[in-house]
Amino acid sequence: MKRRNFIKSMVAVSAVVATPMVLMGKEEAAKAKRKGPNDLTYAAAVEAITGGKEVKDSQKVKLTVPEIAENGAVVPVKVEIDHPMEESNYVKAIHVLSTKNGNVRCVDVMLTPANGKGYFATRIKLSTTQEVVGLAELSDGTFIKAAKSVKVTIGGCG
Amino acid sequence: MAEKEARKSMIKIKPKKYKVGDIVKVDFIVIHPMETGLLKDKKTGKIKPAHYIDNITFSFDGKPFTTMKVWETVSTNPYFSVNYKVTGKGKITVDYTDNTGEKNSKSKKLKPKG
Repeated sequence: MKRRNFIKSMVAVSAVVATPMVLMGKEEAAKAKRKGPNDLTYAAAVEAITGGKEVKDSQKVKLTVPEIAENGAVVPVKVEIDHPMEESNYVKAIHVLSTKNGNVRCVDVMLTPANGKGYFATRIKLSTTQEVVGLAELSDGTFIKAAKSVKVTIGGCG
Repeated sequence: MAEKEARKSMIKIKPKKYKVGDIVKVDFIVIHPMETGLLKDKKTGKIKPAHYIDNITFSFDGKPFTTMKVWETVSTNPYFSVNYKVTGKGKITVDYTDNTGEKNSKSKKLKPKG
C-alpha cells in the first residue's frame, strides 16, 4: 500500500509541476514567433478604434474579398459604404482589419465629405485563413462593420 | 536615408473623362518593399528590419481630403484607392512618409471637361 501511494503521489506531483512548465514553454514559443513591431490582438484593436462603443453588423458595409486567396501576400480588399456624404452626415473613417494576423490593423482611412462616396480599396497580406473586417465610423459616432472569411493557401506574413 | 532616389509612384484617375461634379476614383500605387520585420534575408540569415509606409495624405490644391494610417500588413508595392468629387481644375497631391522617415510626394493635374 505504501509503495502504491508513494507512486500515485509522485505521479500527481510531477503532473502538477510539469503542466505549467509545458504551458509556459508554449506561451513563450508563441511570443517568440510573433515579434513584429506593432503586434496587437483583434479585440484590443477594435477597442482602440471604437473606445468601447458597440459595433453593429450592417448591410450598409459592402466588403469585397476573394473567398479563396492562393497567395496570402496579395489579397485585394474593397470596402464600400452605402451612406450619404454630406457636410453634416458622412462616413468619417474606414478601418480594414484582419482577425488573426500578428498585427491585425491594416489601414485606417480618415475620409471627409469631399470624397463624395465612402469607398476604399487596397491589397493586404494575410498569414492564415481568417476573417477580414471592414469597420466604418459614421459622423454621428456610431460604428458599423462587415466581416468575411478568406481561405488562404500560402501565408504571406513571413 | 541611403536610398535617396525618389520612389516610383503613380496616380491614376478613373474614368479618363470626367466633368465637374462627377465622382472619380483616385488610385495611388507606389513601389515600396513594405517589410514586416519578420522575414529573414536568405543570403545573410539576418532578420530584415521593418520598413513600411505609415502615413499617406491625399490633398487637392493643398487641402487634405483623405488621410491614412498604414501598417506593415499592407502588401508589397501597395495600392490605395479612394473616391473624390471633382469641384474644378486643380492638382491632386499624395504625400507619403515611411517609418524610417523617408518623405515623398506625387501629384497629378485634374482637368474636368465640360
